[in-house]
Amino acid sequence: MIRILIVDDHPALRAGLNAVLEAEPGFVVVGAADKVEQLFPLLHRTRPDVVLLDYHLPPDDGLRLCRRIKRQIPPPRVLVYSAYADARMRLPALLAGADGLLNKGAGARELFETIRLVAGGRRALGPIGREQLAAAAELVDGDAAPIIAMLMDDTPVPEIAKVLGVPAVAVERRLDRMLDRLRVETPAEPIA
Amino acid sequence: MLPDARADAYGEHSPCFARAGPSTMSIVLERLARHRWLTLFVAARLAAMAIALLLLAVHLVTKHDALLALLTLGYGVGTIAAVVRWPRLQREPAWWALDCAAALAFVLVGDEWRSPFYLLALTALILPATTLPFGRALGFGLLFTAAYFAVAVATGVDWSTLDSTARLESFSTHLMVPLLVTASLAYAADLLGRLRAERARAERLALEAERRRIGWELHDSAKQRVHAAHLILSAMGANGPVRHALDELETAVADMERSLHDLRSPLPAADLAHALRVRAAELARTGSAEVTVTGQAPQLAPFVSVHAYRVAAEALTNAVRHAAARRVAVHVEHGDAGLVLSVADDGRGLPRDMEPGNGMRSMHSRARALDAELVFRSDHSGRGTVVTLAVPHAPVQEDQP
Repeated sequence: MIRILIVDDHPALRAGLNAVLEAEPGFVVVGAADKVEQLFPLLHRTRPDVVLLDYHLPPDDGLRLCRRIKRQIPPPRVLVYSAYADARMRLPALLAGADGLLNKGAGARELFETIRLVAGGRRALGPIGREQLAAAAELVDGDAAPIIAMLMDDTPVPEIAKVLGVPAVAVERRLDRMLDRLRVETPAEPIA
Repeated sequence: MLPDARADAYGEHSPCFARAGPSTMSIVLERLARHRWLTLFVAARLAAMAIALLLLAVHLVTKHDALLALLTLGYGVGTIAAVVRWPRLQREPAWWALDCAAALAFVLVGDEWRSPFYLLALTALILPATTLPFGRALGFGLLFTAAYFAVAVATGVDWSTLDSTARLESFSTHLMVPLLVTASLAYAADLLGRLRAERARAERLALEAERRRIGWELHDSAKQRVHAAHLILSAMGANGPVRHALDELETAVADMERSLHDLRSPLPAADLAHALRVRAAELARTGSAEVTVTGQAPQLAPFVSVHAYRVAAEALTNAVRHAAARRVAVHVEHGDAGLVLSVADDGRGLPRDMEPGNGMRSMHSRARALDAELVFRSDHSGRGTVVTLAVPHAPVQEDQP
């Protein structure tokens, strides 16, 4: 049984996900959060296997939230589920420690399969091509390349820190900064 | 061979002052209605001319009053006709100087500083005072006053004047009036200019806020609901009508993405021709087509320039992407017929049985929003396409220096 926590700020999508996932054998939805404040208490209480995380979660963005979720012990698997998920988001998702990335336009079958894959310990981010790396290289400092390479190679953060000879927190901070630079723009909420 | 969009679009409508008939009159009236300073100039000059003629008729000024009256009439009517016919003259320093010199020459010929032509000379200050920035306008007024003083001395100021309070008062008033006229007109023009800039800014901000709001609603609500519907439906399997419904929903999402992309891209600069040059340079960098932009348009209201820009940008994209054009000529012109914008390419032309796509529909809806005429011309034989957008009422942010 795969225990799933839904994080999405739109009620229609939460309801839809809940209905579809509950109907699928082998899945159980343990909770749904629409705000960051609700998320962590719910996370502690329910201990899900997979967090289905929206990217667009004002005022925070989903990837920064993803990093916070992955710091939980033990960390749940995180599948970033976004209307903006495309090739451009793969590298930021990797830096954020996400295990999977899926566009909201995907059908239910694809969603189920990706959840199973991610829950089974596999990574489902999609290939990060030369084009994305080149685009990212323009935005981050040149010496970020080894960190990106090690992350693409599934190296955990403590090990990256050991290789670079810096404390793990320094690598974490570095990743936060890189994520800020690589933000995927979404429509801004209008000022009321 | 590139179709000559310019000749096609403007040949019939080129303004011609000399042409007889009601069209000339309507052109003049429309110009006057659009440019308040020009109207002030025309009215003041007509009035000053009438006063000068009246004074010449009633009093003996020189021995050649009949000739002077004829010259005044010719000068007054001639200068008014010239600035209405060639609006460029209204902002031409050489013309201002000539006008002032001619008017002061009348004063000189009248051989008296209290001249029937004094008011006529004052009217020569209206256009420079309302066109130049405040400081320079004052400078112009000072120069004028100095020139008038010189003329007064040349005609022979009776220096015993200085003993008579009434005469001294009259002379100093004659010297002060040009300065006061210039200062107050320049101040008013300056304020109007600022007001207009502020209004344009407010309009732009409102437009941007509205775009943000629509973008947000589209993203935050409509798109999420369509995604939810798609998800639920896709859990029911994917055969027959369900597959069809899923396709429709996917198209709906693609349409929304497109609109969101449009809404997110920034508003073009108020200078339409410049914005199009920037776009053309972008296209030239990425594609193989050579894009030229000719012509100029004055600062248009943001609403007009945004829609006109998007129509032209879409036509440009179509020419480069779909028509495989090698050369594209964009022309912008603002005249009496309003704003006319044309995009002519040498590509393969429109397919004969073309279904209007998303892009073309949005071009038409933008044209409707502007109350404009949008014409696609292509003979389907692979000799290019001309897209012409004619906006008859394109509000201009006029009178800007």
